[in-house]
Amino acid sequence: MEQVIINGLYLGAQYALIALGLTLIFALMNVLNFAHGQMYVLGGFITYVIYGQLGLPFPLAVICSGLTLAAVGSVIERFLFAPVIKRSAREESTMLLAAAVAFFLDAVILLLFGEKQRGVPKIINGVFVSDSVVMPYDRIVVGVVAMAMIVAFMLYMQYSKPGRAMRALAQDRIAAQLMGVNVDRYSTIGFALGAMLAGLVGGLLVSITGVNSGIGGSISIKAFLMVMIGGAGVVGGAIAGGFILGMMESVGLTLLRNFGDVTYLVIFALLMIFLSIRPHGLMGKPWG
Amino acid sequence: MKDILEISNLTKRFGGLVANNNISFAVKEREILSVIGPNGAGKSTLFKLIASFLHPTSGEVRFRGQRISGLAPHKVARMGVVRTFQETTIFKSMTVRENIVIAHHLRSRASLAGFFLGTSTAQQDEEEFARSADEIIDFLGLGAYRHEMASNLPHGHLRALGIAIGLATNPQVLLLDEPFAGMNQEETKRAIEIVRGVRDRGITVLLVEHDMPAVMNISDRIVVLNFGEKIAEGTPKEIQENPKVIEAYLGVEDTAIGI
Amino acid sequence: MTARQKLGWVIASVAFLLVGVPLLISATGRTDLYYTLTTVALLSIISGGVWLTFYIGRINIGQGAFALIGGYVSAILVTQYGVSFWLTLPLAGLFCAVVSIVIGLPILRLRGVYFAMVTLTMTEVARLSAFALPITNGAKGIVNIPLPGAVTLFGVTIIPDFATLTNPRLAFYITSVVMMVVCFAFLYRLVHSRVGKICQSLQQNEELASSIGVNITYMRILAFAVSSFLGGIGGAMFAAIAQSMYPSSFGVQDSVNFMLNCFLGGLGYVLGPMLGTFVLYFGWDLLFKTGDFQLLIYSSILIVLMLVLPNGLLSIRLPVQKRASL
Repeated sequence: MEQVIINGLYLGAQYALIALGLTLIFALMNVLNFAHGQMYVLGGFITYVIYGQLGLPFPLAVICSGLTLAAVGSVIERFLFAPVIKRSAREESTMLLAAAVAFFLDAVILLLFGEKQRGVPKIINGVFVSDSVVMPYDRIVVGVVAMAMIVAFMLYMQYSKPGRAMRALAQDRIAAQLMGVNVDRYSTIGFALGAMLAGLVGGLLVSITGVNSGIGGSISIKAFLMVMIGGAGVVGGAIAGGFILGMMESVGLTLLRNFGDVTYLVIFALLMIFLSIRPHGLMGKPWG
Repeated sequence: MKDILEISNLTKRFGGLVANNNISFAVKEREILSVIGPNGAGKSTLFKLIASFLHPTSGEVRFRGQRISGLAPHKVARMGVVRTFQETTIFKSMTVRENIVIAHHLRSRASLAGFFLGTSTAQQDEEEFARSADEIIDFLGLGAYRHEMASNLPHGHLRALGIAIGLATNPQVLLLDEPFAGMNQEETKRAIEIVRGVRDRGITVLLVEHDMPAVMNISDRIVVLNFGEKIAEGTPKEIQENPKVIEAYLGVEDTAIGI
Repeated sequence: MTARQKLGWVIASVAFLLVGVPLLISATGRTDLYYTLTTVALLSIISGGVWLTFYIGRINIGQGAFALIGGYVSAILVTQYGVSFWLTLPLAGLFCAVVSIVIGLPILRLRGVYFAMVTLTMTEVARLSAFALPITNGAKGIVNIPLPGAVTLFGVTIIPDFATLTNPRLAFYITSVVMMVVCFAFLYRLVHSRVGKICQSLQQNEELASSIGVNITYMRILAFAVSSFLGGIGGAMFAAIAQSMYPSSFGVQDSVNFMLNCFLGGLGYVLGPMLGTFVLYFGWDLLFKTGDFQLLIYSSILIVLMLVLPNGLLSIRLPVQKRASL
């Protein structure tokens, strides 16, 4: 029982970070970043190269993952999304663009890194064993780091100038503009930040589950699930969604193991029921 | 005259805000009853509650003795209580005639499948809708715009189209939401005649309005709301002399709300 | 164009597709084109379903799920229960329609990106379920699906057993083209009848549509059910052609492509999905020669397309929904 909870918390922290990135982008631009999973994968591969292949320290590698994705995110927002949003009157265009970007990143990742599953040496050996819980140390470290990042992110959004500007932008675009917030600049910063979060998680998790070029799409979908559960565009919702999905996965994998791993079907069914009662998630704003 | 609509103890809360508080009144068949009150008095909410676009927190609305509050809006329309909308709520990319024809939906005798297959019942319906639409267009003076895109209509005629759409449903009660909004004197005179004409067709008219002279001119009776509550009810003369009403309007002018 | 002229064009086109094309193919010996054209026909049916969901104002990126489900329903019924393929075709469609009604009830009131998000997840969940459920045989999929059998009525063979044909590809081609023509004729009639006007009304202004008595929930679910039906029969047909069905047969990329087909072909035209599918499929096929770079080039072209033509290929007749203003 405790094992299930601890696993759930560990997964939840990772997922929450992924969901935070996605929900930030959605809150700022009403764009669903289909490429979010691919950004995670890219982050994983960068850490793989820097830490796994070049042998540089793991924290450095993870930071590089984050920074690279931030750069990639800024470029994508500034040169692709911003123009399309301005020019197009339909929501489908940005969605198709997001999908195209996801495919593009998939293709790039495949070309650069190949198809094989990649892993890196464990960052810390050993396992924590107690009566009820068995947890490898590296997972504990990664889980704690993830939670620290969540807290750091929330503090940043709450108290820093860019954070406040972005929150104003997310709540009311026009009012924010009237108050002098540079909408274009903060959209770019926000997208970059969201991408960075995905990259950081990818970098962290490559040390535990490895990475391969094919999982991008599934990670994006999981991120969507979290955002749907918790509510799109709300920080608290992303965190809630992340932890809920992490917990459900942990429970599902344990309980439903005998039934052929239909965890996600069950989760989806529950989601459908949940959405009938609360269509916009636990805390979601009714946007769009 | 019988009561065609009974509003009983109608209350609507949005979280902590009480938009309508314990409102009760009855509407008599074939009368023109106006609901007035300062901005924010809860008139829009009341309208939405009557047409069942909102469900009450407590209380109910009855149409010919049958409860309609809490039903789905299309069902209430089907029963004969039809709402028109503020502003330019029309089907923008259809012509004026198409707008009115499609509003005959409730009068279809053919089923969806019938319309798809083009059965004779469906064809009869189509002919009837076309005939009725043309008649309504003439009644409202929209003849010149019959085949114009609805979005191209000048403002005053847009309101007329809104009323036309309401008429096409063959309602028993028509709720007009600010029918005289944004009109000059000429347009208002015409609109008043149209509303009288609607009543003469046997339809009970309930309207929300701000234009006081028009309201006093056209209404058989008036209900006054303030701060979500009903403060007065009566003929135009009674309302004009009612001290509570005077205070409600004067009071608002004194403060600097100015919404 | 008058109605008679239009009908003339339709008959001519159908004749060309059913007779002209096979003649050309046998003349040039390019029998590989049968598979390509059959695929285009089936994909356009599936995209037509997505188009219908657009018509009621929803962005549907979940059609891949229904193609997958339809394919599996047919495959399972044929291989495990010995049902005739031709019967499984409508059954697959109906099964998908029922599933879509169940899912549609909670989600059809969501709009825009929210709805799209849920449908996209649906595709992935369908794939995961295909892996996990015992009846679908997991990653091994369902293989060795026999070719469609014969259909006889009162001793007369209406459809021959495909296994007995020398050129089953031609038979699949003809079946698919006929299906496509029927489906699009259906969609065309739907859109141009009063039913279509009702859908337009709820797409343009839901509240107003409610006030004139349109049962919005019912209409949306109906449209979504028809849309999924089309996805299901397309998928079932694919299962018959490929004679196999895997969890990866239809995925997220396919769902996105179906939407893309509609968008590029023009959301205002019934035949839009046909055109879009044709262009995109041949485009993708042509890029096959670029090998590893196929996806890269394809997605780059898409990105450029979105930058240059953000409002779709053909002009859009349906009202443009203005974004919540900047």
